[in-house]
Amino acid sequence: MLDSIPSFARLVAELAKFPGVGTKTATRLAFYLLRQPDAAAAALATAIVDLKRNTRFCSVCFHITEQDPCPLCVDPARDGSLLCVVEEPQAVLAIERSRSFRGRYHVLHGALSPLDGIGPEELRIAPLLDRLKAGEISEVLVATNFTVEGDATALYLARLIQPLGIRTTRLAYGIPMGSELEYVDEATVQRAVQGRREL
Amino acid sequence: MPPLISSAIILRHVDYGEADRIVTVLTPDHGRLKGFARGARRSRKRFGTALEPFAEVRLHWVPRPGGELVSLREAELVSLRTGLRRDLETLALAGYGCELTEALFDEAVGFAEAFGLLRAFLDHLDAAGASAGARLLMELRLLTLAGIVPHLQHCAECHGALPEGPVGFDAGRGGSLCPGCGGAAAGLRVDRLTLGSLGRLLQTPLERFADIRLSPRTLQEGGALLADALRGHLPKPLKSAAFLAGL
Ligand SMILES: [Zn+2]
Ligand SMILES: [Zn+2]
Repeated sequence: MLDSIPSFARLVAELAKFPGVGTKTATRLAFYLLRQPDAAAAALATAIVDLKRNTRFCSVCFHITEQDPCPLCVDPARDGSLLCVVEEPQAVLAIERSRSFRGRYHVLHGALSPLDGIGPEELRIAPLLDRLKAGEISEVLVATNFTVEGDATALYLARLIQPLGIRTTRLAYGIPMGSELEYVDEATVQRAVQGRREL
Repeated sequence: MPPLISSAIILRHVDYGEADRIVTVLTPDHGRLKGFARGARRSRKRFGTALEPFAEVRLHWVPRPGGELVSLREAELVSLRTGLRRDLETLALAGYGCELTEALFDEAVGFAEAFGLLRAFLDHLDAAGASAGARLLMELRLLTLAGIVPHLQHCAECHGALPEGPVGFDAGRGGSLCPGCGGAAAGLRVDRLTLGSLGRLLQTPLERFADIRLSPRTLQEGGALLADALRGHLPKPLKSAAFLAGL
C-alpha cells in the first residue's frame, strides 16, 4: 500500500528507526506531520539538521555541547575540586535536574562490561586520568549506573583513582540495584548525591 | 495459557528500545531461554532488580508459538548475589562462568546438571570471591558435563600408560600423549602429577567448590591445559575471557 506513496513510506521507515517506535506508531506520526502546516514540518527538519550540525562533545568533559569547552566546564560558579563521573550525557541531565551537585562532570560514554568484553580503552578514561593528574580535583563522585556494568566501572575507577590520593565516592542511598540514572526521579538522585559514600 | 514457572539464572540482558529488555536465562528443565521483558528497563514494578545478571529467580513465562523469544511475565527474586560485586575479578569471573556455560550448552542436553554447577559456582564466588581454583574447577566440570573432557591419565591415542615427569598434551589430538605417540613434540608439557590431580578433581562432587586446595603447579599447568581444551570447542573466543585477561 505504502509503495505507491514513496515519500510517505520513506518517512515511516525513518521514524520506525527511533527507539521504541514500531511501524504502527511511525505511520501515525507520519499522518500527523502530513496534516501540519509546511512551516511546522520545516521547523522540525531544521531542528534535526541543526542538532547534528551544531552539537559536539566537549573536549574537556565529553558532555554534549554547542560551544567548546561547554558551559558546565567554564562556569566560574561551579566547584572545580569536585568531579562527577557518569556513563552517558543523559546522566548529566538527570543530576543537573536534581540540583544537588555544583561541581564539574566527566562523561565516559559507556561502561565496562565483562560480558560484552568492553574494556577501559573503549571509554574516555585516559582523558579522565589526565584531568585528575592536573591536580585541581580533590573528590571524584562516581555516578555510574547501579547495574553490573556500572558497578564494574566504579570498582575499576576506584582502583585507578585511589592511588592518586583523591577521595573517591559513589552515589548511595535509595537507588535500587539495576537502575539507570536516566530513569531515577530527582528526589532520589538528590538524596543519593547528598548521601554519597566512600568507594 | 497459564505461565510456566522455572528456576532460572539470569545470564545477561540487552536493552530493547526505550523501555524493554531481552533477557537470556538458564533453566534446569528448559535449558537456555531468551525472554522478552516488557517495560523492564523503565519501570521497576514488575521485575524489580530480579533481571540483573547472575541473579537467581523463579521465572513466570509463556512460550510464544513459532518464536524463539518467550514472554516473561514475572520474576520472583531468590538471590541477587550482591557479593559478586565486591571486586572486579569476582564480577568478571562470574561473567566468564555464565558465558562459558552458555557457549558449551547451547543446544546440548544435561541442562539440569549445568544449572546446578553454575548455581554452585556463582554461590561460591558470592561468598568467597574469585580464585584461580574456582575457575579451574568450573572449566574442568563444564568440559566433563559437555562430554568433551580430554584424556588425562592415559595416552589419548594408544591408551597406554604415561611416564613420570612432564608429558605432552595436545587437545586437538585428544589429550595427553605418550612418548611413543609423539608426546615430546606436543605444544604443551604437563607434569603427570598435574594430570593425576585433575583426574582426582573429576571425582569430587560437581557442586563442591569450597575447601578444595590446589597446588600452584596444578593451577598453572592445569589452567593452560584446560584453555587448550576449551579453544577447540568454542566457536569464537569468549568476551569475558578477554576481559579477565586484561585485568
Ligand atoms: Zn565540558
Ligand atoms: Zn600413546
